[in-house]
Amino acid sequence: MKGTVARGFVFILAVLLAACGGTSGSSGTGSSNSYQGKTIYLGAILSITGAGGVYGPSSQNGMQLAVDKINSSGGVNGAKLSLNVQDDASDKAQSAQVAQRLIQQGNILALLGPTLSNSAVAVHPLAESFKIPILAVSTTGIHIVPDCKFPDTTPCQYVFRDSLGEETAIPTNIMVYSQRAHPSTGVLMVANDDKFSSDGGKIVMKTVSRYGIQLLDTVAFPKATADFAPVVTRALQKHPDVIFITSLGGIPAKIMIEARKQGFTGQFLGGNGFNTAVVSKQAGADGKGAESGSAWYLRNTFPSNADFVKDYRAKYNADPDQFAAQGYAGILILADSAKRANLTFSDVPGDRTKLRSAMESVNIQTPLGPFQFTSTHDVKQTVWVIAMDGNGGFTLVQSVKSTS
Amino acid sequence: MAQQLLNAIFIGSIYALFAVGYTLVFGVLDVLNLAHSAVFMLGAVITYSLVALHGVPFLPAAIVAVIVCGLLGLLIEYVALRPLRRRNAPPISALISTIGLALIFVAIVEQAKPGSFFGWLWQDGANSVRFPSNSVPNPTYHLLGLTIEGTKLIILATTLVLVLVLGSIIRFTQAGRGLRAVAENRRAATLLGIRVDRVFASTLFVSSALGGLAGLLFGLAISDISPYIGRDQVELKGLAVIVLGGMGSVPGAVIGGYLLGLIEVLAFVRFGSNIEAGVAFAALFLVLVVRPQGLFGARLRERI
Repeated sequence: MKGTVARGFVFILAVLLAACGGTSGSSGTGSSNSYQGKTIYLGAILSITGAGGVYGPSSQNGMQLAVDKINSSGGVNGAKLSLNVQDDASDKAQSAQVAQRLIQQGNILALLGPTLSNSAVAVHPLAESFKIPILAVSTTGIHIVPDCKFPDTTPCQYVFRDSLGEETAIPTNIMVYSQRAHPSTGVLMVANDDKFSSDGGKIVMKTVSRYGIQLLDTVAFPKATADFAPVVTRALQKHPDVIFITSLGGIPAKIMIEARKQGFTGQFLGGNGFNTAVVSKQAGADGKGAESGSAWYLRNTFPSNADFVKDYRAKYNADPDQFAAQGYAGILILADSAKRANLTFSDVPGDRTKLRSAMESVNIQTPLGPFQFTSTHDVKQTVWVIAMDGNGGFTLVQSVKSTS
Repeated sequence: MAQQLLNAIFIGSIYALFAVGYTLVFGVLDVLNLAHSAVFMLGAVITYSLVALHGVPFLPAAIVAVIVCGLLGLLIEYVALRPLRRRNAPPISALISTIGLALIFVAIVEQAKPGSFFGWLWQDGANSVRFPSNSVPNPTYHLLGLTIEGTKLIILATTLVLVLVLGSIIRFTQAGRGLRAVAENRRAATLLGIRVDRVFASTLFVSSALGGLAGLLFGLAISDISPYIGRDQVELKGLAVIVLGGMGSVPGAVIGGYLLGLIEVLAFVRFGSNIEAGVAFAALFLVLVVRPQGLFGARLRERI
C-alpha cells in the first residue's frame, strides 16, 4: 500500500516534470530566465597570421559581426555572447596548444575553427575527447566530419562543419566547366606539404577521368616555394588545356601570374583556395576567368545574405568574402542551438552535451542560404561556381543545387 | 631545359643579393644578423606602400625604400648589436637580439590594417599583394621558345653591377681597407686608429640597404609581397648560401647564391619538388664535408 502511494507520487512528479520540460521545449524560451544576465563563452581558433592569414581575419570579422548583432538585439534569450579569438599562426602544433588553452579555461561552451584542415586534424580529436562541440567554419579537406579521428572511422559526436567540403566543391566546379568547354587535357599543380592542398589534389585526380580529361602531369611543390617559375615551366611543357591548382594563400595567384607570363592561355580551375578577394586581387588581370566552386556568393539577394553584406560593409568598410559569411553563419548556428538547448550555466559539461544535440537539429537562414546539417554533421547547401573578375572580385558562373 | 636554366639564374640573383648583405655583417662583426630577412621583407613592403598607397612612381619609391632599409640597419646596430658589444656579450646574444628585432618588424607589418597605427605603411595584414600592374613596365620577350621578363633582366644586371661595385669598394678604397682591417682583427684596427664603431655602423647600413633592394626586386619579380617573404622564403636559403660560399666571403655569397639556385632548379627538374630541398641541402652538406670552410672560405684569416 505504502509502495503504491510512493509510486503514485513519483508518477505525478514525473508527469509534472515532463509537462514543464514539454513547455520549455516547445516554446524554446521556457528557461529564458536562467539565461538572463548570463554569458555564453565561445572560443575560436583562427589563423590570423601565417599562410592561413589570408582567411582567418575574414572569419574573425564575420564572427564578430554576428556576435555584436546578436548581443545588441537582446542576446540569446537574454544571455550575452562572448567570443575569444586566438591566433594559431597557421601552425598545426600551435593550433592544438591554443585549443588546449581555451579548453582549460573551463567556461567555454563551444569552439569554432581552426581555419586550416591541416590544423583541424590535431584540434578536432582534442575537442571530441573533451566533449566540447566544435564547429569548423573554413575547413574543407577530407576526413573532417564525421571521421575526425581518421584512420579511425568512428563518427565524431562533437565535430560539425558549416564549410562546404572540397569533395563537393571541386567536382561540381570541374563538371560545370567540362560541360561548357569540353577540355581534354589538364595538369595538376598541388602543394604537397599541406592537408588542404593535397586533399584537393586527390579529389581532382579522382574527378577528371569522369569528364574525359586526361591528366598529363602532376606537379607538386612545397608551400614555401619562393619562385614558381621552374614549377610553372614544367607544367606548361605538356601544353594542357586546364591547369588545376589546389593550394592556399597567395600561391594560386602567384602560379596564375607566372603561367600567364610564360604564355599560358588556357583555363585555371581550383578549389576553396581561390575563393577570397585577396587571392583574386593579387592575381589581378592574370587571374581573370579562374573558376572555383564556392559556398557563398557576394551578390546573392536573398534577405539573410543581403542583410549580412550590408552590415558587414557598414562595420568594416569592405566587402565580405566566403570565409566571413561562413564565420558569421557559424555564430548564428551556435546562437540558435544555444537558444534551444535549455542551458543551465552551472554545469558546463552538461550544457555542452545539450548544445551538441541542439546543433543537430539546426534549421535557420544564413548568408550561405537555408542551413541544415546532414546526419554526418556536414553542410548541405547550394554550390556557387564563381570566376575571378580580374579586379579582385568574382562573378557568378552557375549555381548547382545540393543533390544529396 | 634552357628555360629552367634561366629560371635558376634569376632566382640565384636574388639569393646572391640577399646573401651578400648577410655575409658582409658576419664577415665584419662575427654576428649573424637574423633581422636581415625582416629588412628584406621591409624593402618590398616600403616600396609597395609608396607605390600603391601613396602614389609615388616606382623608381623614387625604390630609392627611398633602399635608404630606409639602410637606416633600419643602423637601428639594428644601435639597438640590437652595439649595447651587447659594449657589455662583451657572446655572439649568441646578438643572434637572439636580432631575432627579436626581426619578430617585431614582421609583427608590425602583419598587424597593420587600414586605420591602425601602421596603416600608412601596410594595409593587408598577413595577405600577399603585388605591385599594381601599371606601376612597373614589365616587357616580356619570347625568344626561341624562351620567356624572358624585363624585370628579371633588371634584377640580373643590378645584382652583377652592385656586387662588382661592392667588391671593388672593399678591395680598392680606404673605407674598404678599414673594413677588412676590422674584419681581420678588431683590436689591432682600433689601435691603428680605425673608428671601429663607425665601420660597424656603415657595414650594417650597406648590408641592410642591399637586403632591402633584394626584397623589393623579389617582390617585383615574384609578384609576392607579404610579411613573410623574408622569413619563409629566403632566410634559411640565405644562410645556406653563405655557408656554401664561405662565411664572410662576398664572392662566395654570390657564387653560392647562383649555385643554390642552379642546384634547386636542377633537382626539381630531375627529381621533382618532393625532394628538391633535400637534394639542395644534401649538395650543401657534401660541399661542407669536402671543404668545411665553404667554397671561398679558404683563406680564413683574410675575410670579406
